[in-house]
Amino acid sequence: MVHVSVLLDFYSKSKTYIIEQSEKLILQLLKTAMIEVYNLWKQYQRPNWALSGISMKIEKGDFCFITGPSGSGKTTLLKILYREILPTQGQLLIDQRNILRIPDHKIYVLRRMMGIVFQDFRLLFHKKVFDNIAIVLRILGVPKKEIRRRVFYLLRMVNLHNKMWEYPKHLSYGEQQRVAIARAVVNNPKIILADEPTGNLDTELAYEIMNLFKRINKKGTTVLICTHDRELIRHFGEKIFFLYKGKILRRESL
Amino acid sequence: MIHQKFIFSLKETLQNLWQFKGRNLFSLFIICLSFLIIGIFLSLSNNFQYIAKQIQKNLAIIAFLEEGISEQNINAIRIRLENSPYIEEVSYITSEQAKENFSEKFPELNNIVSNLEINPFPPSFEAIAKKNALSYEETIDFVNDLKNMPGIDDVQFNKDWLERIQAFSRLAKAVGFFLGGILVLASFFIISNIIKLNVLARKSEIEILRLTGATNFFIRTPFLIEGIILGFLGSAGSLLLLAIIIKLFPLYLGASLGTLTELISFRYLSLSQCLAVITGGSVIGFSGSYSSLARFLNI
Repeated sequence: MVHVSVLLDFYSKSKTYIIEQSEKLILQLLKTAMIEVYNLWKQYQRPNWALSGISMKIEKGDFCFITGPSGSGKTTLLKILYREILPTQGQLLIDQRNILRIPDHKIYVLRRMMGIVFQDFRLLFHKKVFDNIAIVLRILGVPKKEIRRRVFYLLRMVNLHNKMWEYPKHLSYGEQQRVAIARAVVNNPKIILADEPTGNLDTELAYEIMNLFKRINKKGTTVLICTHDRELIRHFGEKIFFLYKGKILRRESL
Repeated sequence: MIHQKFIFSLKETLQNLWQFKGRNLFSLFIICLSFLIIGIFLSLSNNFQYIAKQIQKNLAIIAFLEEGISEQNINAIRIRLENSPYIEEVSYITSEQAKENFSEKFPELNNIVSNLEINPFPPSFEAIAKKNALSYEETIDFVNDLKNMPGIDDVQFNKDWLERIQAFSRLAKAVGFFLGGILVLASFFIISNIIKLNVLARKSEIEILRLTGATNFFIRTPFLIEGIILGFLGSAGSLLLLAIIIKLFPLYLGASLGTLTELISFRYLSLSQCLAVITGGSVIGFSGSYSSLARFLNI
């Protein structure tokens, strides 16, 4: 009888231990996931699907690329990630939060944890370089002194400190792109989403911008870049998703 | 933090106002015109009210007595008038005195009166009311009381004028609010459309602000302030224009209208009326802007 009770005791203890450990493991797994996409579908117009059943997971601190030919759904996927558009079907968690359930008037909470670099830069052309970057901090109500400190630091980082009082239209493409990047990272976001950040740039400038993203990534920011530049991917890629006709064709982790 | 955001919104507003100065000036002009119309009629109504008050202040009550009235009744009426707390001064006018007074005032009609075989003027009591002693309703009550006294044929006082002037005042106010109301409604739509145009012109900027984490309130605030400023400046401008009109109007009319000049002259608005006009302008500006944002910005 004694042996049976010892066995039962051992059984219950080990059961509790296993449950505890699995819970820890699940929590750890959940904790590390920054972007989780489950079976995402998007249709703009029948019968074509821009995205067909995309599932992917990007962890905290990852440096990822999404690549594929034009029209493969890269930009659509990115737009869904920062919720400019809604998917037709599927689930999407960002930092363990179902962003599809966030009401429209609260969407700024999501956008404030993201830095977005657009293909067309989307700079405010009637504002100076300094104000283009500072606007993000002004939205957050950061004190003037702190705004100045952070913007100066970033402009130095992107090597544009001597052009901060100029209007974007007086800058080259590469410089405008660097302003857009500075604006995206100025509020220390958890995620950076960049859509073709090196499109229209020469190779040297493209590498310079990629190095900039790498430096930001080393501080713990998750970076997700959409590009079709294979050279860059080969050089910088750690986790790559190949998209083709709205489907993930292949995943690679280097 | 809120203070910082407000200053930023204010700067953005001023920048917008300057950037689209042409259309903003146009909307300012319309608001100004609308409130000027209201202001002019309010001012006219104020003038009527003033005249009515003046008449009320110098209210003369004439009690005409019946023919062959007894001394006893005359004394009773005199005592009633003299003891009244509303009356300043009482004088008894005999028929002869009344006739003489008439002949003095209208010498050209002397012949007609002298040709009459009888004296048509009844004896009367003339009473001057104390200044500010009577409100309009109290006056009517007092006159009705007098009428019921024995020996009194009729009581006259400048009640009709008082009533007419007060009716004019109400009419001027009503016309002003009706015309002004239509124009204010028009200016509401004009502000609404101008803000809509401004939103359209800044659509890409609004899009960028949204994507960088701006709240709806943050995006809306500069446009709302813009509406309030337009409404405020428009209504304040209308008050300024009104002040100029009040100053110049008598010069333009001169004395050509004689006693009528007094009747159609403008009077400055009271402080509370000025505040009401300015608040009204600001509210119209705010609501015009808000309705445009609610319909058009879709945030």
